[in-house]
Amino acid sequence: MQPAPARYYDGVTADALDVSAKWGVGELLIYRPGDFSIVARWRLEELAVLGDTEHEAIPSVVKQGSDARLVIVSPELRAELGRNAYLGDLVVPPPKPAPRIARLAGALVMVVALFWGAIEIGSDHAGLLVPYRLQAKLGREAQAQLTAGRTVCTGAEGLAAIDGLANRLARAGGLGHPVVVTIVKGGPVNAFTLPGDRLVFYSDLIDRASDGEEVAGVLAHEIGHAVKGHPLHGMIRQYGIELLLRLMTGGYSEMGSLGSGGSLLLALRNGRAFEREADATGIALLEGRGLRADGMSRFFEKMMKQEPTGKIPLANIWSDHPPTAERIAATKRPATGRPAFTDQEWKALRSVCDESASKQ
Amino acid sequence: MNISAVQPEGSQTGSPPSRPVYDGRLAELYGIYLRHLLLMLVTFGWSRFWGRTRLRRYLWSHVSVLGDRFEYRGRGLELFVGFVMVLLILAAWAGALWLAWTFWLSARLPAGMGLIGLVGLSIAVIGFPLSFVGQYAALRYKLSRTRWRGVRGAMAGSAWRYGALATLLTAANGATAQLLTPLMSVTLARPRISNAAIGTQRFAFAGNAGDIYGRYIAYYLLNILVTVGLVIAVFMAVGVAFVGHDLKEFQEYAATPPPLLIAAGLAAAYILFGLVILPLRCWWQAYLLRYLIARTRAGDVLFATSLTTRDMWGFLVLNYLIVLLSFGLGWPWVMHRTLRLIAGRLWIYGAPAPGSIAQPADRGPNYGEGLLDMFDVSGV
Repeated sequence: MQPAPARYYDGVTADALDVSAKWGVGELLIYRPGDFSIVARWRLEELAVLGDTEHEAIPSVVKQGSDARLVIVSPELRAELGRNAYLGDLVVPPPKPAPRIARLAGALVMVVALFWGAIEIGSDHAGLLVPYRLQAKLGREAQAQLTAGRTVCTGAEGLAAIDGLANRLARAGGLGHPVVVTIVKGGPVNAFTLPGDRLVFYSDLIDRASDGEEVAGVLAHEIGHAVKGHPLHGMIRQYGIELLLRLMTGGYSEMGSLGSGGSLLLALRNGRAFEREADATGIALLEGRGLRADGMSRFFEKMMKQEPTGKIPLANIWSDHPPTAERIAATKRPATGRPAFTDQEWKALRSVCDESASKQ
Repeated sequence: MNISAVQPEGSQTGSPPSRPVYDGRLAELYGIYLRHLLLMLVTFGWSRFWGRTRLRRYLWSHVSVLGDRFEYRGRGLELFVGFVMVLLILAAWAGALWLAWTFWLSARLPAGMGLIGLVGLSIAVIGFPLSFVGQYAALRYKLSRTRWRGVRGAMAGSAWRYGALATLLTAANGATAQLLTPLMSVTLARPRISNAAIGTQRFAFAGNAGDIYGRYIAYYLLNILVTVGLVIAVFMAVGVAFVGHDLKEFQEYAATPPPLLIAAGLAAAYILFGLVILPLRCWWQAYLLRYLIARTRAGDVLFATSLTTRDMWGFLVLNYLIVLLSFGLGWPWVMHRTLRLIAGRLWIYGAPAPGSIAQPADRGPNYGEGLLDMFDVSGV
């Protein structure tokens, strides 16, 4: 066997020696090639290989229990030593990159697809696993944030009117828990459904409505969200998407903003599907109770008229509600059926925030 | 003084200058990285400590200085333990806040501030100084797991002291409109460099903020000039764009734009602004790095770099864009580019004298990087 060049570090100082190494009887001889003086003799049972050929350019041979290292540059000597000293790790060929990348990329695509499928399907059912008490707690906390610093309307008769209709629709939709409606004074012209069957209405929406049917239409839409479990479903789905993006980007927090942006877009797509479903459910609930269901589309029409014209409707792609014209077409109903509110109830609802005894 | 092209003072003329050598292959790095991503998905992220360790082993072992490769001997388990310890500390903190909340705080805090909000806010507040502590502690861990010629790296000094100093300087710099940047850069570089060692050989840093203030003031004034110019240009462009258009429609729309469009507009402004300001920033950063490296030595071994503004553009801007536009899949490419840049631009003058560097007695911390993992970026 021809001696081959290697680098030897004694583990005591940072000196590096150009050495040769030779396999003897039960031991490895490390010696200087010039004068053949022995640098070290390592017994077979003392040898170990640090690392592997996948991650280390040249895995070091070490003497166990010391910091000394031998880096064998010659592939031939590495092969011979690997065989003789049973140091297989020294000579395992590194994996070939191209087939490895193809295999791993394929597996990655499959796992991402599975993960995605689990989010899609799991978020439909995971809501059922969350105890109602926890949902109610989440709802209370979210409501506290929404109403912080705002005036909450306390007109008892108006609240009773909207609460009564909300609970009748919710029961008809099979919701097993009572719905609580809170009206916040001022804008925006909007309403929210929170986990735990809590509804938050803004009084600007009631002021903007021409009659009780329009408010009932929006209310039925929100009850549609509650009946279908959208608030919790949406939260679980968004969490899942964010987790997927975080994992896909290697867990690097620099990618946080990208992850948030991506999950926001995906959640918006999700939001649009929810809105369509809530529209359809709301209309069905109103019609099922023999109530007028024309208010929802009339309110949408009113909102569309206030939207700016020109190129701006294109911006609806960024909105979490479907394009208004499409929603109007889907929810258009004749003005038949009983009114959702009596005249007295509607009057009370219009003045629900008037008593400025409303608490802050 | 042009510090990019000079030979360091007092350098040994006996041995020619050398550069580090990086011989990693991008395809091999991708093989390791894709497996890391796959395991991340399967384990919901808990494999990241082991994945990061494998990447480091590859990168370290493909870099050699003066003919000898580095080794990384950290273990995933050590990073995992570090993370769990910080997690437990935070859980204890959250528990203490819960007790305070239950018996005292709930009635005294403003409406809308729930327990979850309070815990989040408190962690965000303590997270700022702790991220600096984490950076220093992580450097100590990484150095203690790095070997060159069989000798371990080491890091002296207190991570807490560094964290306090960094927090103070960052706050002071913010309060003085970033005018303390050179002082902060040099003051924070000093402990990071002069407390670091390979074996018993400490690095030394001889920087002085006064040396670089002139260049910084020029950079600062140029920034102001460019910003003012840019704002004037944007106003003129908007004015020209709306000549002959219905201003009422614009105003009507501008009153209630969709939130995401506002975000997109802000992002576009940020990018446009960045594209103008960033070359200036790269110019300054390249200068700063050349200065810091030129003022660093390890015994008789001196360092210098020929890093240019263009190199810094590639490092700061292109690398960021690669990661962003590839949804994170460009990370291995960024690591590869960065190591090639270091190998191409760092010059080492001299070599350690025989027997001058011994193995340090200290083996470093038993676990690592928990704080950094929790509060700061987690780059390889």
